[in-house]
Amino acid sequence: MIEVSRLRKWYRVHRREPGLWAAMRSLLHRPYEDVKAVDDISFAIGSGERVGFLGPNGAGKTTTLKVLSGLLHPTEGKVSVAGFTPQRRERGFLQQITLVMGQKQQLLWDLPPSETFLLNRAIYDIPKKQYQETVAELTELLELSQLLGKPTRQLSLGERMKCELAVALLHRPRVLFLDEPTIGLDVSMQATVRGFVRAYNERFGATVLLTSHYMEDVAALCPRVMVIDKGRLIYDGSLPELVRRVRPDKRVHVKLSKPVQRADLEALGTVIEHRDAEAVVQVSQEALQHAVARALSALPLTDLTVEDPPLEEVMRDLFAQGRAA
Amino acid sequence: MRRVFNVLRALLHASVALALQYRIEFVVEGALALLWLAVTLVPLLVVFGNRGAVAGWTFPEMLVVLGWFVALKGVLEGTLSPSLLQVVDHVRKGTLDFVLIKPADAQLLVSFANVEPSRVVDLLGAGGIFVYAFHQIGHPPSPAQIALAAILLCTAILVLYSIAILVVSIAFIAVRVDNLLYLFQSVFDVARWPSTVFRGVLSALFTFVLPLALMTTYPALALLGKLTLQTLFAAVGGSLAFAAIARLIWIASIRRYTSASS
Amino acid sequence: MRVIDAPKAPRLGTPWGVRRFASLYAQLLRTGFAEAVAYRAEFLIWMFSTNMPLVMLAIWAAAARSGPVGGYSQQGFAAYYLCALLVRLMTGAWVVWELTMEIRQGTLALRLLRPIHPLLQWSADNIAAIPMRGVVALPVTAILLWVARGELSHRWFDWLLLLPALAGAWLIYFLVQAIIGTIALRFESAASLFTAWLGFSNILSGYLVPLDLFPRAVRDAAQWLPFRFQLSYPVELMLGRWNHEQALQLLGVEWIYVAFFFLCTRTAWRAGLRYYAAYGG
Repeated sequence: MIEVSRLRKWYRVHRREPGLWAAMRSLLHRPYEDVKAVDDISFAIGSGERVGFLGPNGAGKTTTLKVLSGLLHPTEGKVSVAGFTPQRRERGFLQQITLVMGQKQQLLWDLPPSETFLLNRAIYDIPKKQYQETVAELTELLELSQLLGKPTRQLSLGERMKCELAVALLHRPRVLFLDEPTIGLDVSMQATVRGFVRAYNERFGATVLLTSHYMEDVAALCPRVMVIDKGRLIYDGSLPELVRRVRPDKRVHVKLSKPVQRADLEALGTVIEHRDAEAVVQVSQEALQHAVARALSALPLTDLTVEDPPLEEVMRDLFAQGRAA
Repeated sequence: MRRVFNVLRALLHASVALALQYRIEFVVEGALALLWLAVTLVPLLVVFGNRGAVAGWTFPEMLVVLGWFVALKGVLEGTLSPSLLQVVDHVRKGTLDFVLIKPADAQLLVSFANVEPSRVVDLLGAGGIFVYAFHQIGHPPSPAQIALAAILLCTAILVLYSIAILVVSIAFIAVRVDNLLYLFQSVFDVARWPSTVFRGVLSALFTFVLPLALMTTYPALALLGKLTLQTLFAAVGGSLAFAAIARLIWIASIRRYTSASS
Repeated sequence: MRVIDAPKAPRLGTPWGVRRFASLYAQLLRTGFAEAVAYRAEFLIWMFSTNMPLVMLAIWAAAARSGPVGGYSQQGFAAYYLCALLVRLMTGAWVVWELTMEIRQGTLALRLLRPIHPLLQWSADNIAAIPMRGVVALPVTAILLWVARGELSHRWFDWLLLLPALAGAWLIYFLVQAIIGTIALRFESAASLFTAWLGFSNILSGYLVPLDLFPRAVRDAAQWLPFRFQLSYPVELMLGRWNHEQALQLLGVEWIYVAFFFLCTRTAWRAGLRYYAAYGG
């Protein structure tokens, strides 16, 4: 469905010092530097896949997404989405994709979302029957029936996001580009959005590309992740595998019936947290079995769980490695 | 083509829905448009209070020019300006991407995004002015003259539209440019007088560089039966060329926006 | 329902000493000037948009080609309209737009939390922009002197009075805008009210047509209305229309209007804030 080969995207940025003298000098000589937003990325995504792009700010995630949707031209490399070259922005291509950007909206502000629906219907040339069916389905899936008649400005952020999603999917696109869709939403709304995207993907077989800061988005939605840092693709695979590679350690979380000495905990591994009633110890994969056995026999436990380290820490490690490399 | 028509109709529908939402404002805007019409007429009434003809034009003839001015101003301030100003807003807020990702021509989508229906008062006012003027002249214009005037009205709107597109294309390079559109709107006031009012440098400026005087003078000449065939062809040809240039510059600006922005 | 007491509007002026106020205002001016410089491109374009007097001059000059109209020759018209342009450039105000925008966006609440009256800052912004305005006014003055020097007043007294006349004209404009903007605290359609004011002012202030070219009825009505002092009176001074006594009398009337609008602003502001604190914010 999506094929990217050796994609590069550079920006030429002119440097300018502040001040009057520098301003005049810049008329004659403008030093510039090339910012490599995307530096030699290649990947392929099949139809119906859900893929997450992870990476720190400025890594190139949004840039890649915009190149795939045709909003930006690649400096070098080949891009193909649904058999089209996005850059050409052919109508056939645009009919099949959709873009949702968190915190930015295409809904008309002073009018009810239903008005934007009608407008998009005309733009995407959706036949009447299909339009009515789609609206009915989306209204049910997202619980929009109370919202569609109210002016957009009167809706809360979460309600607006649901309507944004509906508008974006009105024309039943085959490829969904989601750029930070859950940013700023409360926890329950984030879950709703994730659930909906997953349901849509399973029902219609649409391909989903998601960029996000929130690990839960990616963990819940995307069996496959691509990690981008400084314009380069540093990982492409499943999320559990990523965790295993970067931070193979596990976390043993114990709840205690009475306080224990720190030394007893250190015998198991690196102590992350130590309070009277509970503690967290980091243990390498190999030593895990031994550590658990020891904890069960030596410590006054009421509960013991084994977890992966939080994704945030994994990512932080990953990018730190990238910077060291 | 049917699709273009549908999109236009949907855009207009959205604008009217918005206007009807604020019903009181709609009426108030309409009343203000009437007030402004009166204000526009006052100088002309005073000028011709004790003069028969100015720069070769009689009072009713000048009224015809003023009528076209009112109509074109209504089009400019009622739809061209508000719509194209939204483009500047889009660029500022980063929502132009939503426009570019739609399978419809971006220029079409932005041009009629925002129509202010209360400005229809201007068109009605222009009609009223024409009726009065020709009543003074004594005989109505012939159908041929009306047809000719309609053609020239279209060329005038085309030129106006092209200038607005050019101004807005600059927004892609320097965002704080909605001022320029206001500047153009105020310079457009020059078009309320026929071109012979201006002499020398100004005359050349407003005929060739910024064909403002012609936008209202030519349709007036047509309605009054004073238009030469030569002028007709020059006007139509010129406006089509101008529109083509504006379109090319718009496409280049969009291309530049998509290749250069982040 | 008990209306929550509105925060006491800080008085326009000072509960502190004069010195402190002066240094505060000086700082406000400095900030205003920095802003004007930062927005100089927009500012210049805005100034150039003030071209109506020139458009009117075109038609009157054409009308006067064959002879003077109502006592104005071509030169006379040039003098009038160029003076009108100068007065308009130097006494322009835009506080109504700032006020209505801040009310709509909700940022006025932030300003109200500061211990100075918002109008103080806005007035300082306006005054601090005078050098900017001078940039455009200078070439206009040069053209005026070149084209129509003979029409200008020869009496130093007129030019002495011009300063307070311009100050008064600006104050009237600023205060009226402030009042209309304050109305926006309660009623949404304040901007329309301002457009209506502009419409009447364009005619009755002599901006579009010199007042003495109007029929007698309009002329007499315009004599006493505040619009006249926004533009026509300063221009009349520049053209030397009045003798010492008359000029002073008119200046007096102008400043009575200033005092009147000042009081109206205070009342409107207090009432507006009370409503705002109870319902809006």
